[in-house]
Amino acid sequence: MILADAIFILIALMTMAGALATVLARSVIYAMVGLVITMFGIAGLYIYLNAPFIAMMQILIYVGAISILIAFAIMVAGPLSQKPKEWTTLKRFIAALVVAAASFFLFAKIVMQSKWLPGIFSTSSLTTKDIGRLLFDKLMLPFELISILLVVAIIGAIMLALFSRGNK
Amino acid sequence: MTALPLFNNINIYLFIGIFLLACGIVGVVYRRTLISMLISLELIMNGAGLNFIVFNRFLSDRPYGMAFTLFIMGIAAAETAIALAIIILIFRRFKNVESDDLKEMKD
Repeated sequence: MILADAIFILIALMTMAGALATVLARSVIYAMVGLVITMFGIAGLYIYLNAPFIAMMQILIYVGAISILIAFAIMVAGPLSQKPKEWTTLKRFIAALVVAAASFFLFAKIVMQSKWLPGIFSTSSLTTKDIGRLLFDKLMLPFELISILLVVAIIGAIMLALFSRGNK
Repeated sequence: MTALPLFNNINIYLFIGIFLLACGIVGVVYRRTLISMLISLELIMNGAGLNFIVFNRFLSDRPYGMAFTLFIMGIAAAETAIALAIIILIFRRFKNVESDDLKEMKD
């Protein structure tokens, strides 16, 4: 149990450090690396939460697809070192800190005050079979709507990139 | 609650989710380029998915939270594709992707 706790603390710290690096890094490519670290940490947390299928999907979709997409966007439209001086506006940073700290303490207060029901707390882990059965039984309509949304998004992205080239 | 090991405590996961939300808010307000804002939005969506899995683990025995986390991942992928297409269009037109330059419709 001590080893499991130690690895858990390590993963949680890795997630938080990745989030901080994402926000505070000067270069966009470092921010993307911080995002990848955060996503790996969240996949580790999913494994601690008895959801290994979701952890694998997290690594496949977020780390494999979305980060690569963002990397391509950084390479194509790279704001790498154009205006490095204006990136640190102190007034804007203070405003962001105030908003984030206010929301953080509000939600933290809500979490600390609420008494969670003991719940089921089943140690029998939900398998992929359960998720699949739920997806194709009760959540059939949202599942199909997600697939339609993905098709529309792909077609929309292609149309945006293709047909607005002429009237530049 | 003290007899349980640390990773069976619900509050720790919720605090990690809130921390991701706060970092995302800081990023969206503070960052100047559109790609950085998009990355910060991904942080917020990750925190939301983590909360779904946490509540599913501790308060339920059916995998609704996992299914909706899968939906969140699909929607995030679609949103990222559309947003990156728009960002590349903006880069073609304005030659940079800073959000302060996009005030043509405001003026």
